[in-house]
Amino acid sequence: MSETAVDNQELIQAFGRGSLLNIRVDDDAPLEAACRALREHLGRSRQLYTKGDVAVDIGRRVLAVEQQERIRKVIESESGLNIARFWCEPEVLERERERITNLLSLQSAAAPEHWSNGHQAPIKPVENEPAPAEPHATGQADEPGYQAREGISPGAEGDGAPALMVRRTCRSGEALTFSGNVVVMGNVNPGAQIAARGDILVFGALRGGAHAGCEGDASAVILAMSSVSPHLRIADYRWQDEGRHDTSGRSNKDSTGPIIARVENRAIRVTPYLKNYALDHGGNPNER
Amino acid sequence: MSGKTIVMTSGKGGVGKTTATANVGVGLALRGNRVVVIDTDIGLRNLDVVMGLENRIVYDLIDVVEERCRIEQALIRDKHAGELYLVAAAQTRDKDCISSQQMIDLCRQLEGDFDYVIVDCPAGIEQGFRNAIAAAGEALVVTTPEVSAIRDADRVIGLLHASDIRSAKLIINRIKPEMVRQGDMLDASDVLDMLAVDAIGLIPADDRVITSTNNGTPVVYDNQSPSGREFARIAARIDGEYIPMIDPVEEQQPSSIMDKVRTLMGIARKASSHV
Repeated sequence: MSETAVDNQELIQAFGRGSLLNIRVDDDAPLEAACRALREHLGRSRQLYTKGDVAVDIGRRVLAVEQQERIRKVIESESGLNIARFWCEPEVLERERERITNLLSLQSAAAPEHWSNGHQAPIKPVENEPAPAEPHATGQADEPGYQAREGISPGAEGDGAPALMVRRTCRSGEALTFSGNVVVMGNVNPGAQIAARGDILVFGALRGGAHAGCEGDASAVILAMSSVSPHLRIADYRWQDEGRHDTSGRSNKDSTGPIIARVENRAIRVTPYLKNYALDHGGNPNER
Repeated sequence: MSGKTIVMTSGKGGVGKTTATANVGVGLALRGNRVVVIDTDIGLRNLDVVMGLENRIVYDLIDVVEERCRIEQALIRDKHAGELYLVAAAQTRDKDCISSQQMIDLCRQLEGDFDYVIVDCPAGIEQGFRNAIAAAGEALVVTTPEVSAIRDADRVIGLLHASDIRSAKLIINRIKPEMVRQGDMLDASDVLDMLAVDAIGLIPADDRVITSTNNGTPVVYDNQSPSGREFARIAARIDGEYIPMIDPVEEQQPSSIMDKVRTLMGIARKASSHV
C-alpha cells in the first residue's frame, strides 16, 4: 500500500511506505471533528484500506484511554485496518509528565518513579473539550479548588508515599486514581470512584466506591467519618453491602459514625472506628 | 445593557426543567426585566408549548445559526408577560446542528439587548448539554427529591464545575410535604446536604402545574398556587432580592385546632399500626 491523501478538511493525513500506513490527525482540531473527518476519509477510500496494520500518530495531543479507544473504534469499524499502535514523539510524553509533576507539586521523590511505569500516570488530555467519560479526572488539576499538597515527608513516621488532598465533594461520575494515599475533605457521593495505591481517608460521608491498595497492598485501609458505601475494595478483596438498601431513599440520612475497613482473615471487615481503636490495635490501624 | 446567561439543567429528564424555565422567565419579565428564553432541546422542543406560543413560531434557533433569518425575526414575543421573548428549538433537526461556539455567539449578542438570557437545556450530558451550558455564566439545577434525580444532579453539578460554572443553584421540584412528614420522601435538607450546593427554590408538588402547562399559561401567573408563588420568589432571588427560603413542609403545616387534632390522631393511628 503506498499512497498520499489529504482530506479536504485537512484534518487527516494518510501516508504509507511498504506495509505500514501512517494516519496523522491534526493537532488543533477538536477530537469530535477529527473523528468525523477520519470516518469520512475511511468511508471514501474503503477499497484502499481493506487490510493491513496502521500506526496512529497522535501528534502533540495527549489522549485519555477512552479517547484512544474511540479512535480505535472509528478506524477498525470503518475499514479493514488493524491498529498496530498509537504513537507520538517521546518529548510529548515527557512534557506531559513534567506538567503533571509541576501541577501536583509533589516534593516526594517517590512520585515520578511511580509514574514512569506508565499505567498509573493520570494522563490528562490537553484539549479544551472535556473528555466524554471522565471530565473530572481529566480537568480537575486545573481547578483552583483541587489542589495537591505536599506529600507526607519521608522523614519521621510516614512511609514516604505521597498523599493527594481533595478539598471538595467528589461527585457522581468522577473517577479519581492516585498512586499514593488519598484524603478527601468532603463527601464522596454515590457514583464517584476513588482508587488509591495506599489508604483512603474520607473526612465526610463515603457513599461512593473506594478501592484502597489498588495495586495489591492488602494492608491499606479505608477510613471514613460515616459510610453507606455499597462497595468497598482493598487490594483484591471486595466488600458489598446488600442489607442496607432502603427503598424510601433515605439511605443518606443514617449516619454510621466513623468506620474503618481493613483486610482481616482474607476478607474485608468494616468496624466502627472508636476512640480507643488505635490503642487496641497497638497504636497502628494497619497492623495485624 | 449587559445581561446574564443562565442555564436551566438537570441531567435527568422529566424533573421540570422546561416548566421551571417558562415560569422563571415569566417571573423575571413580570418584575420588569427584558428576558429571552432559548429552547435548546432541538428535535424535542417543548418550551413553546408550555408557554403557549407554539402557533407563533416562524423561525427557530437553527434558522438563526444557519443564517436563514436575523435573530430579531426568531424572537417570539410572549402573550402576557411584557418584555419576554422565546427562541424556539427546531423540531426537525438534531443536537449536532449547532455548535457550542454558535451558542456562545448567539448568547453574547442577546446579552447586549436583554437583562436575562435563560437557556433551557435538554436532558442528558451529551452534545445538547454542552451546547446549552457553553454560554452560561450561572446555572440552575432542577431536581426532585428522588435518589435517581439527585444522582444525576450531582453528576451535572460536577460537569458544570469542570466547565467553570461554579455558581450552580438548586431548585428542588415536586416536594410532597405529606410524604416528607411521613418519612417517605427526602426533605430539602437531605438533598442539599447530599449535593453540597445552595438552594434557590423549594417547590411543592402542585397539580395546577399540569393544567397550566396544558393551557400554555405558566403557573407563576396564578397567585393562588403554592408552586406559582415559589416560582415568583425564585425570580425575585435571581433578581438579587433577599427572600428567605420557605420549606413547603413547614409552610403547609395545618393551622386550625381541628387540623392539629386530626394530625395528632393521624400520627397516633400510624404509630399504633406499626406496633
